[in-house]
Amino acid sequence: MQNEHELIEMLREKMGDKTEVLANSLGKASMKTDSALLLNEVKQILEVDRDTGISAITGLDMGERIGLLYHFRVNRHLVTLVTDVSKEIPKISSITDLVPGANFHEREVSDLFGVTFEGHPSPGRLVLPETWPLELFPLRKDAKIEGIPFQSETSSEGITTSQPESNSELVNVVVGPQHPALLEPEKFTLKVEGEIVRAVEPRIGYVHRGVEKAAETRTYLQNVYLVERICGICNSCHATSFVEAVEKILGTQVPPRGKYLRTIILELNRLHSHLLLLGHAGLEIGYETLFQYMWRDREPIMDLTELITGNRVIASSIAVGGVRQDLSEAAIAKFRTMLAQLSKRMEFYQNLFNNEPSLKMRTQNVGKLTKEDALKLSVVGPVARASGVDMDVRKDDPYEAYGEIPFKLITRTEGDTYARLMVRLDEVTESIKIIEYALDHLPQGAFRVKAPRVVQTGEAVARVEAPRGELFDYVKSNGTAYPERVKVRTPTFANIPAFLKTAIGGSVADVPANFVSLDPCFSCTDR
Amino acid sequence: MAIDFLFFFRVLVFPGFTFVLFFTLFCDWVERKIEARIQNRVGPSVAGPGGILQPLADFMKLLTKEDIMPLDAKRILFKASPLLSFSVMVFSVSLLPIDGSSAIPGSSFAGDLIFIMALVTIANFLLFLSGWASASPYGSLGAARVLTQFLGYDIPLLMLALGPAFLAGSLSIAGIAASQQLPFIILAPWAFVLFIITLQAELEKDPFDIPHAESEVVGGLETEYCGGKLAFLHLTRDVQIVFGAALVVELFLGGPYGPVFFGAPEVWYTLWFVLKLLAVVVISELLTTLFARLRIDQVVTANWKIMLPLSIVALALTVALGVWVYPGLV
Repeated sequence: MQNEHELIEMLREKMGDKTEVLANSLGKASMKTDSALLLNEVKQILEVDRDTGISAITGLDMGERIGLLYHFRVNRHLVTLVTDVSKEIPKISSITDLVPGANFHEREVSDLFGVTFEGHPSPGRLVLPETWPLELFPLRKDAKIEGIPFQSETSSEGITTSQPESNSELVNVVVGPQHPALLEPEKFTLKVEGEIVRAVEPRIGYVHRGVEKAAETRTYLQNVYLVERICGICNSCHATSFVEAVEKILGTQVPPRGKYLRTIILELNRLHSHLLLLGHAGLEIGYETLFQYMWRDREPIMDLTELITGNRVIASSIAVGGVRQDLSEAAIAKFRTMLAQLSKRMEFYQNLFNNEPSLKMRTQNVGKLTKEDALKLSVVGPVARASGVDMDVRKDDPYEAYGEIPFKLITRTEGDTYARLMVRLDEVTESIKIIEYALDHLPQGAFRVKAPRVVQTGEAVARVEAPRGELFDYVKSNGTAYPERVKVRTPTFANIPAFLKTAIGGSVADVPANFVSLDPCFSCTDR
Repeated sequence: MAIDFLFFFRVLVFPGFTFVLFFTLFCDWVERKIEARIQNRVGPSVAGPGGILQPLADFMKLLTKEDIMPLDAKRILFKASPLLSFSVMVFSVSLLPIDGSSAIPGSSFAGDLIFIMALVTIANFLLFLSGWASASPYGSLGAARVLTQFLGYDIPLLMLALGPAFLAGSLSIAGIAASQQLPFIILAPWAFVLFIITLQAELEKDPFDIPHAESEVVGGLETEYCGGKLAFLHLTRDVQIVFGAALVVELFLGGPYGPVFFGAPEVWYTLWFVLKLLAVVVISELLTTLFARLRIDQVVTANWKIMLPLSIVALALTVALGVWVYPGLV
C-alpha cells in the first residue's frame, strides 16, 4: 500500500491534462471525466494498480443528466471517477470486462436509473421485480411512485424445483426463494449435472425495500434510524457509515470519547455477527451442538450491547456528532468480566475448529476462492481475507478510534469455506482485545457534540468495516434537512459474485456450507 | 394350541404392540432429553412430568392435522407405504425376545436373524417408496439417499451380526442371546464398536443423517407428508431406532438375560432389556450430537472403502478367536 500523495501523483501522471485529479474529495481523490473516455480512464487506473477493485457505482439524478460515480479501491485507497450521461440517451460502455467486480453494480444502476451499459455480459433485472414497468426508474427524481402500473409476470421461469432443460443434460435445482438453507428470501438456480453444479443463476431483490429512495424523503435525523434497519445484526455499522458521511459534509469533529464508544459498539456488532454466523455454519453442516453452543455464547454479547446502548439488537446509539449514551464505570467492570469469560469460551472453540474431523471434512477444500479471483471479483471482508487479501477498512482507511488501537489483521491463504470460518473465529478473539484496549484507554470528556439538523450542500463517502466486509455509504446534501441522495453498498452485495464463482464445479451438497461461509445477509443486499 | 387370552395379551399388550409403541415413545423422549441437555437446552418439559408425554402429544397432534396429498403423487403407494413400513418394523421388534421370549409365542426359529434383517430391509425399502411416491424432487432425492446409504451399510451390518451368531453357534436371535454367559461385547469388542457405527448409518443418525439434511434436501422423503401419514413416518423412524438398539442388546449385550433376584424372571428380564437398550440409545445419541453431518459421497466412500473391509476383518477375527481361543477359555 503506497501513501496517498504518491497515489495522487501517479494518477495525475496517468490521467494527463484532460482529467483533473482532485485530492481529498470523495475518498482520497476524485476525477471528472467525459463518459466517452471512461474505458480509457479505467485502463489508466488499472495501470496504477492492476488489482483495482470496485467499491460501488453511485447513480445520481442531476436534472438533465445522470451522474455516475465509480468508486474504485486503488491500492486500497478509495478513488472516485465521476462521469455523466444524458437522460435522453443514457448509454455508457460497461467496465465489467476490465473490472469483473462491476457486474452487479452496473446492473443495479441500470435497474434503478435506466442507464444502459453497453457490452455488459449479462444484462437484466437484478433488484426490481419482473412485474415492474420497464420505463419506470425509481431513483430518478421524476419517477412517479404512486399508482405503479405493474405488468403481468412475463418470465416463465419455473418456481418448481426441478425441470430438465430441453437442450442439455443440465437439471435446474432451485434454491430459494424459500429454502431451509436460506434464512432470507433470494433465489439461486443451480444448473446441475449429476451432483456437480455447472452454472448458477442468481436472482436477488426479493426484499428490496427502496431504502435509498426512502432516505430522500426523511430528515438526516430520521435517516440514522432508517439505515440502521437495513440490517439487524450490523445495524450500528450502517448507522456509523451514514453518520460518518454526514459528519464529513458538516465538518463535525466527534469527541475522542465518542469515537471510542462507537468503536466498542461496532466491535460488539462484529462479535455478535461472527458468533451468529459460526453457529449457523454449524447448522448448515448438520452440527447442531455447535449451533446451540455458539448461540448461547452470543447471549452475553447482546447483554453487553444492552449495557452500552440500552437495546439488545437494534442499538440506535449512533448519532450525528457522537453516541447517545455514556458508559459508566460499573458497566466497564461488567464488560471486563464478561469479555474474559467469552475469551475462555473462544479457546474451547479454537480447539474444536482446529481438531474436529467431521467439521473439517465438510468445510476444507470446499468453495475455494483464489487470491486472484478474490481481487478480480472485488470481494470484501472475511471472504477476501480468507483468500489472502489483507484488506480491512479499519487498517486501510482508519475511522473512529481504529487508528489508535493496535490489532492484528487476520488473513489465511487457503480460500476455502474452512478458512472463511477460521478468519471469523480469529477475528472474534481480536475483537475482544480491541474492546478491552478501548476500555483501558477510554478518554474522558464529552461523548457527543451538538450537530446542526440542516446540512450544507456537499457530498461525501464513508467506509466502515462491517462484520461482513467493507460497507460503503455515499451521501449528497442539497442544503436542506433532507439528503439529495443516499447510496449504501452492503458487503454481501459485493460478495455474492464469490459464491457464483466458487459454487461452479462443486457438489450440490457443498452449496449450503459454501454459501453460508460468505455470511450472506439478503436484507443488506437488497436494501 | 388354542388361541387363548395369553396369546392376545402377549401380541397386543405386553411385550407386543402396546408395549413396543409406548416404549418407543419413551425412548424418543430419552433421546430428545439427552440431546437437549448435551446441547445446553431444556428439551421437552411441558407435557407430563419432565415432558415425558411430549412424543405422544406430538403424535396425537399430527393425527389431528389435515392430510394433504400432492396431485402428482402415486396415490396408493403414498398412502400405504408409511403404514406398511410401520407394521413391518413393529412386527420385527415383536420377533425379538424381550421378556425372555418373543412377543408372538413360539415364533423363534433357527434362522430368524437373517429373516429379521430381511424384514428391516423391506421396511426401509417401503420408506424409500414413500418418498419416491410423493413426486417431489426433494422427496425423491431424500428417498434415493436413503436407498444409497441403506443398501451400502446393510452388507457390513449383516457381516458384523454374523460374528455373534458364529460365537453362539446359532442363527436364531433367541439362541444368540441365551448363549451369552459372557456378553459378546467383552469377547468381540471390535465388532461391537463397528456395529454401533454401522447402525448409526443404518438409522440415518448423525454423522450419517444425509437423507434428512434439511439444508440440502429440505425434509427428504417426508417433504410432502403431513398429518397422520407423517405421524406414522416419524413413528416408524422411532421404532427403527428402538429396533436397532434392541438388536445390539440381543447380539452383544446378552439379550434380556441377567441376574434374577426374586419373583418372576420375566419382570427382571424386561428390566434388564430396557436398561441395556437405554444404554445403547444413550451411546447412539452421544455420537449424534458430537459430530457434523458428512456429505453423501463421503458416506458412500466410507462405507465401501472402510466399513466393508473392516467388517470382513472383524468377522474373520471373531471366527478365528471363536475357533482357536475362546473354546479353551469359556
